[in-house]
Amino acid sequence: MKVNPMKPKVQLGHGGGASPQVDEDTILVQRTLRSGQSVHYAGNVVVLGDVNPGAEIIASGNIIIMGALRGVAHAGVEGNEEAVVTAFRLQPTQLRIANHITRAPDGNYPGPDQPETARIKNGEVIIEAYQPAGERSTGIC
Amino acid sequence: MGEVIVITSGKGGVGKTTTTANIGTGLASLGYKVVLVDTDIGLRNLDVVMGLENRIVYDIVDVTTGNCRLKQALIKDKRFEGLYLLPAAQTKDKSAVTPEDMKNLTGELKAEFDFVIIDCPAGIEQGFKNAIAGAEKAIVIATPEVSAVRDADRIIGLLEAAELREPKLIVNRIRPLMVKKGDMMGIEDMIDILAIDLLGVVPDDESIVVSTNRGEPAVLDNNSRAGEAYRNIAKRITGQQVPLMNLEVPDGLLHKFKKLLGFK
Repeated sequence: MKVNPMKPKVQLGHGGGASPQVDEDTILVQRTLRSGQSVHYAGNVVVLGDVNPGAEIIASGNIIIMGALRGVAHAGVEGNEEAVVTAFRLQPTQLRIANHITRAPDGNYPGPDQPETARIKNGEVIIEAYQPAGERSTGIC
Repeated sequence: MGEVIVITSGKGGVGKTTTTANIGTGLASLGYKVVLVDTDIGLRNLDVVMGLENRIVYDIVDVTTGNCRLKQALIKDKRFEGLYLLPAAQTKDKSAVTPEDMKNLTGELKAEFDFVIIDCPAGIEQGFKNAIAGAEKAIVIATPEVSAVRDADRIIGLLEAAELREPKLIVNRIRPLMVKKGDMMGIEDMIDILAIDLLGVVPDDESIVVSTNRGEPAVLDNNSRAGEAYRNIAKRITGQQVPLMNLEVPDGLLHKFKKLLGFK
């Protein structure tokens, strides 16, 4: 897997009420990421495939996985607490947003059967059913 | 022109060497000309599993260093006319051969044989790189364990990076009863993660231990369930359509008796 070096600074469009993510670059990964493969990107990452255990995605923006997330995803790596991780099946080994690190509870739980989004709310990472744009707090329209 | 197939897994002990021996013997029993190449230099085993250990004079390192001609190092099988083994060296290590050597070697072999089957060592280092260098197709072996599936996934990624497209999966040592009870990963769970085509499923079978120790591949034993699975896999490699065998263990008398008494 080609690894894109992180740019030193990401331009975040904070002015004028625009949402912080709008100005960021987005990379489309059109494959499944297997164990040992990683994508680092200064911007948003969209994966058309699965992210298997042992694979990782690290992005300064949002991460969207059109498949199952079973590996590690780190969104908003440069401190953006607005960043979200969305996946068709959100079953990560570990999930990180900005400087928050979470993992699934121990024990056997049935996997999700619908797309979900992880985001930071009141200083905690929460997971909720995926909702289309209008209702999102980050306000990407 | 023959086909070069590498048999690999990442994790050790999942049955690469046993599978290589059985698929190779299976193909030879179908009348094809087959050569098995052991690339596990320093830890050679394929010769033992094939029962040809005592015939080794030259090995793969002798060939690549020009110490002998390729023909001199090939060991003819005891059972089949068209089956040969190119053994690994035991006193050297993986760095004794380079990927370039392997490309030349497999190129030479596939001109002579219908199938060149390469037994890959465990791991993802030099030995793995050598083993896949000359291969055109790959078969990935995984047992129904999380660790084996994880390693298989890594290997598939590396194979894709090396332009070995569409590797096939063999699920080895599955225990249908345990899967049924939910104590073992099922085939669907494995395919769900690995997302590659299934070439075959080999049930866990004690006769494999016996045949491996005797140096007689199980594929020749008509009473072995694993042998039957390997026969089917060999046929699929040649392009025949063979349905997956029924893994349900037929109810034995003891089992029925236990059932009657309400033990199960």
